[in-house]
Amino acid sequence: MKLLSSFKKELILASRGFYFYVELVFALVLLAVLLFAIPQNFSSTSTEYLFFNLPQEGKEIFINNILKDDLDTKSEMVEVEASGKTFNAELIVTDESEIYIVDSEEAVRALADSEKVIGAVIELDDNNQLHYKYYLQGYESTRLKNLISILQNESTDVLEERFENQDVRPLSTDYEPLTDRENTIPPLIAFSGSLMGMFIMASYIFLDKKEGVIEAYAVTASSVWRYLMSKIFVVLLTSVVSGLIIIMPVMGFRINYGLLLLLLLTTGFFASSLGLLIASFYDNLVKAFGVIYLLVFLLMVPSIAYFIPGWDPVWIKIIPSYPLLQGFKEIILPNGDIAYPLITSAGFLAVGIILFAITNIRFKKTLSV
Amino acid sequence: MIKVEGLYHSYLKNDNFAVRDVNFEVAEGEIFGFLGPSGAGKSTTQGILTGLLQLQKGNVSVAGYDIKNISRKMFNKIGMSFEQSNVYSKMTAKENLSFYSKLFDVETRDPIELIELVGLKGKENIRTGEFSKGMKHRLTFARSMINNPSMWFLDEPTTGLDPAITATIKDIIKEQNNKGVTVFLTTHNMFIADELCNRVGFIVDGVIKLIDSPKKLKLQYGEKLVEVEYAQNGNIKKESFSTIMQEDKDLLNQIIADKEILTMHTKEATLEEIFIKVTGRGLA
Repeated sequence: MKLLSSFKKELILASRGFYFYVELVFALVLLAVLLFAIPQNFSSTSTEYLFFNLPQEGKEIFINNILKDDLDTKSEMVEVEASGKTFNAELIVTDESEIYIVDSEEAVRALADSEKVIGAVIELDDNNQLHYKYYLQGYESTRLKNLISILQNESTDVLEERFENQDVRPLSTDYEPLTDRENTIPPLIAFSGSLMGMFIMASYIFLDKKEGVIEAYAVTASSVWRYLMSKIFVVLLTSVVSGLIIIMPVMGFRINYGLLLLLLLTTGFFASSLGLLIASFYDNLVKAFGVIYLLVFLLMVPSIAYFIPGWDPVWIKIIPSYPLLQGFKEIILPNGDIAYPLITSAGFLAVGIILFAITNIRFKKTLSV
Repeated sequence: MIKVEGLYHSYLKNDNFAVRDVNFEVAEGEIFGFLGPSGAGKSTTQGILTGLLQLQKGNVSVAGYDIKNISRKMFNKIGMSFEQSNVYSKMTAKENLSFYSKLFDVETRDPIELIELVGLKGKENIRTGEFSKGMKHRLTFARSMINNPSMWFLDEPTTGLDPAITATIKDIIKEQNNKGVTVFLTTHNMFIADELCNRVGFIVDGVIKLIDSPKKLKLQYGEKLVEVEYAQNGNIKKESFSTIMQEDKDLLNQIIADKEILTMHTKEATLEEIFIKVTGRGLA
């Protein structure tokens, strides 16, 4: 009854406060970014500007070869602008590239300069051999430059034959990858839904410290743990709501929401207990800001590893946000490992309970008059 | 109701004590005034008595509960009005008191009744963030009565209040005391203490210098003089006479008989004067 009353009071305070809406609006902003800014899959289409300074017959052979890869095997006449000039171009769109065939080297150079992409001029040299001139941007890697050199020194027929003879076999056949948009969800939900709770919780406590209401609560027949737990309940509620705001419109009903709620609640409990513990050492948010900032920075490191698969050092795995991210990923993966989020939830719950117990002792000891 | 023996407390947990060897008792139904200047150790002592500060050394019992192992049940019997108002500014006056009423295991008072009692009628549905300092203070005072406490701690209950409201607050304290409520009043306002307290304790630099009733203190430390203003030959004369010396008593009788008396009153020592005499310190 006392816990319920405290929870109701916290809900009233949260609904009339600033931070409650900050978290929800933040979740809506992240959802908008997910739906409208992040494509289903990031496009790897490149843009190329070419000029065939060749006799008409040679030019047609090249263009016809490229046209075979065009999505509708037809080119389109377009106008492109660069450096204040308009150039006519024949556009061929393939799966991988948008190729603009222009009618002068000047156009290639101007477009490469203004669009910051590679341009090429293909012509015949004095010995009637094909000569390739590339307009690079200057920041291309040595590997790319070497690749371009190889391409021009090796017969394309030989290269094509070697590519075709390569045998690529997937070792795991039951693995269904996430789309780029879905893959972006775990870091967003981890920080908006779970770890944001740490900051919000500390803010709630500092507001109460400012008003002195913790002392008033301490001289009632209700225990301090109820006061702390009621705040955690509110943070968990907003964590779940903001988590669902982000995940439901994107994932629909394709995921196990029971597991998702479990992980959101346990990680939210851990994060808010951590926020409580930090708040027990300081009088106000300004004094605690350094520690909170360091912790947020540390907790963000695993999200860098998340987007760079080749960088996954062992030490990163002991940062709590690492299993948090992986746990959310396993939940949204079509054939995700159920055991992982379950074990992760148990771990966060256990650590959260320990943090909460320490915090409770600290709050009892540090109530000042 | 309160028993304190050999109480010591150090914030730095060293020999720099905020209170030292404090001993006193407060009987049931008594109004005990704990008087001293800022930083004397009043709030520290009160903090320990109310469980807000941990007991480090000494024996303290409040309302029959040992403070060493505080039971939450103790707070069903205790009311605490803080010097600094501490109510939820985003909640209305009624919401504030209703919330606190649910944190006790005993029958509680009607929030509206308490709000009206402290002169805040019509303000019950206004968020306390919009209240003046005095209004918040009154609400904090009202909240301390929500659980019908038998042991009532009041920390500067009239600070920042206008005379009319101060009178109301004093009346409420007297009324509660008449119902048997024990009051531990912490203040540096000697007039309030003089008017309300059965006994007062003077604390300076963490040490209790003296405990007695205001009346006895005045008798002990008062100057026993009568100050008279009378008219003589068109002029106003002012003289003091001892109420002990026979010569002065005779002179006073003669003036009363022969002259037109304008004002006459005994010159009693105020608590503040006694405090300064005993402790050698002011109350500022």
